[in-house]
Amino acid sequence: MIEVRGLTKRYGDVLAVDDLTFDVEPGKVTGFLGPNGAGKSTTMRMVLGLDRPTSGRALVEGRPYAALAEPLRAVGALLDPGAVHPGRTGRSHLRVAARTNGVPQRRVDEVIELAGLGRAARRRIRGYSLGMRQRLGIAAALLGDPRVLLFDEPVNGLDLDGVRWIRALLRRLADEGRTVLVSSHLLSEMQQTADRLVVIGRGRLIADATTEDILRGLGTARVRVRTSRADELAAVLRRHGATVERTGAAELEVGGSSAEEVGELANAARVPLSHLSAVARSLEDAYLALTGSSVEFPGGRTEPAGTATGVTP
Amino acid sequence: MTAPVTAPAGPGRDVPAVRVLARTGAAEWTRLWTVRATWWFLLAAALVWIGIGALAGLESAGDAAQGDPAWVVASVAAMPAQFLLLVLALTAVTGDHATGGIVPTLQWTPRRTVLFAARTLVPVAVTTTLAVLLALASAGTAWVAARPVLGLPAGEGVEVLATVALVVAAGSALAVGLGFLLRSTAGALIAVVLLMLVLPLFLPQFPYDWTAALAEVLPGSGAAFLLLGEVPGMTQASAVGALLAWAGGALLLGWLRLARDDANR
Ligand SMILES: Nc1ncnc2c1ncn2[C@@H]1O[C@H](COP(=O)(O)OP(=O)(O)OP(=O)(O)O)[C@@H](O)[C@H]1O
Ligand SMILES: [Mg+2]
Repeated sequence: MIEVRGLTKRYGDVLAVDDLTFDVEPGKVTGFLGPNGAGKSTTMRMVLGLDRPTSGRALVEGRPYAALAEPLRAVGALLDPGAVHPGRTGRSHLRVAARTNGVPQRRVDEVIELAGLGRAARRRIRGYSLGMRQRLGIAAALLGDPRVLLFDEPVNGLDLDGVRWIRALLRRLADEGRTVLVSSHLLSEMQQTADRLVVIGRGRLIADATTEDILRGLGTARVRVRTSRADELAAVLRRHGATVERTGAAELEVGGSSAEEVGELANAARVPLSHLSAVARSLEDAYLALTGSSVEFPGGRTEPAGTATGVTP
Repeated sequence: MTAPVTAPAGPGRDVPAVRVLARTGAAEWTRLWTVRATWWFLLAAALVWIGIGALAGLESAGDAAQGDPAWVVASVAAMPAQFLLLVLALTAVTGDHATGGIVPTLQWTPRRTVLFAARTLVPVAVTTTLAVLLALASAGTAWVAARPVLGLPAGEGVEVLATVALVVAAGSALAVGLGFLLRSTAGALIAVVLLMLVLPLFLPQFPYDWTAALAEVLPGSGAAFLLLGEVPGMTQASAVGALLAWAGGALLLGWLRLARDDANR
């Protein structure tokens, strides 16, 4: 269990994380989703006690990470896989880790096998490919057999086999009842692995719901319509249960009804239309729209993302 | 995962602080000796120290003056050789910051004061021990090379080895403290060389009283006085005082930075 409460981090003028509150529950893969620079890594670093929050706090298994005497037995984490001393062998890197937390040295060979590092473990990290560094980081994360795991963009730079391996690993860890938080900037990736999604943009929480709910919310068809009497039409459409967003002086975007229905309603209300079209929106587009304009939405909302495009008369 | 690690390993279980420190110290020991740089600096320090011992011994072999102690050679050779051990201690700290390795380090040892203590004690103890051994080897080499000209009196030996230990321990502590404070190998190295070598050498050359006074409170002047005994205006007490004060000050500032700052800024 990870509890994030009002977590905020400011670097000079940059508000990297802005009053984030969410929980990560055991037994599920929770996707931590947001575009580049959204604050995912910063949040994870604060959870791990590496960066000091400007305000707010994060608890792991009910305690601040820095209070743990043997953190590797409670929490395993993969952050930047490049952040290791390149002069050591993979095995010495893991031996040092085991020493710090009183993990028996034989466990080092177990996780080397588990992560599929094999004989590369005896070579210097300097010569590792990105995929091997990633595996080394995962080996270190699994070293203490922890109940909580954090992975920051674990599939970055991996080939298809590697990606499949990570997905299966995440699933297995969650099925064993562990708490798994995995970040990504790709919705399509998270769609495959995550049971729940915590979506952030510009440091703020945009959505926190099951993956299914979020996908349903994002996937709904929308209709674009232009008319000189936009206010009048918006009122009509809303009366018929559609969600309406004002996108221009004479332009509306309508959710929850088809282009035909909008046309008929306009006709019945005698509102002349100058344009009527269905807006094709891929999931990725929708997600980008959602996170790209995230700063307009109030923080702390926990509704599925679909409702984030509410009425703006 | 397949095998559980150890039987009663509740994630939040408490471990005595002393044991956490001992584990961190053991990890620091492994860290130190699993990078090549440590071995290179050790090799270079040995070459300089023992090499100067051999050369000085051979040179005095032709001299008529009998009975000078070989310990003087070890003490003089310590002046240049100490820098290699100081750099060894310094890179033990800055290496992690330069490579980003500090992130996993603090992930595994989130109690920063514990990390600070282990990362100070282990390198300083290592360089001090190495200094004593190498000084011993240097004096021995000089004595053998000069036989039978130089003597090797035990009483003076203890005094010289203790002095070398003090100088290298304080210098290493200064280097470690500056490493924690500046987090960059180049930056900390420049600071160490300025404080230990360049400023103590050049400040007294200016015709002002205050530059001379300033030079006297620098750690390099203290080290030079203790090892070479040729620094005007200094006493045993002022030399030891300067060394320890700088070492203590650097460690304090380094600890403050490590304890307060984000991991890899
Ligand atoms: N040490 C730092 N100093 C200054 N600004 C920082 C620092 N670390 C992060 N930032 C800023 O904080 C914001 C969030 O960065 P963060 O790395 O957490 O994003 P992210 O969601 O992990 O992005 P990505 O998908 O690119 O990894 C960015 O604007 C970044 O520039
Ligand atoms: Mg990131």
